[in-house]
Amino acid sequence: MEPPDLHLRNLTYALFVANGRAPSAEEVARDAGVDTDDVHAGWRRLHDLHALVLSPETAEIRMANPFSAVPSAYRVRAGGRWWYANCAWDAFGVCAALQVDGVIETSCPDCAEPITVDVCDQAPGDRSLLFHCLVPAAHWWDDIVFT
Amino acid sequence: MNLFRSEEHIERWLGDRPGGATITVAKLSDLAHAWWDDRLSPRWRPRGRDESQAILDRLGLAGDFWRLA
Repeated sequence: MEPPDLHLRNLTYALFVANGRAPSAEEVARDAGVDTDDVHAGWRRLHDLHALVLSPETAEIRMANPFSAVPSAYRVRAGGRWWYANCAWDAFGVCAALQVDGVIETSCPDCAEPITVDVCDQAPGDRSLLFHCLVPAAHWWDDIVFT
Repeated sequence: MNLFRSEEHIERWLGDRPGGATITVAKLSDLAHAWWDDRLSPRWRPRGRDESQAILDRLGLAGDFWRLA
């Protein structure tokens, strides 16, 4: 990854965390002092490197893993804010990335009963739950939104 | 990549579909912290496939399912 793209990536993540939501290309361009087209081009390169995920419809940020730019089944209370995570793995990842304790809220995909998990000192409070990963690792990026 | 209340819930949710891999939520938390804890660091650098595989291996996530390629 070239230094300008690394800077763009770090700025995008920093704005995501500062604002509690995905920044637009215009916001990043304004902060970086570059053209919006430059941000879109850089984001495309980062997308191709799996450093973030763009929405195919809008070319805006869809995922800055572990954060989701769109509402999902995994909500995380951490660092004084609610976040959306892309999946159960990323829900714990939000706490890991922010390096804080948190609370994960979701529901069982089978019975739809609410599931709440406290995360304290990097460990789940309810240790009875199970995590199921449907897609083998070699295929995670074939369709990362489905994965 | 979902959380479930028990193995019974996973089996029912899968139905006729082939299952993937199931691990405890404690293992998942360990994995997430190993995988994501540098994500916001200014020293973050892209991780190579071998480095990512080493994280999975270190946590005992072995077998073809957990091979990145």
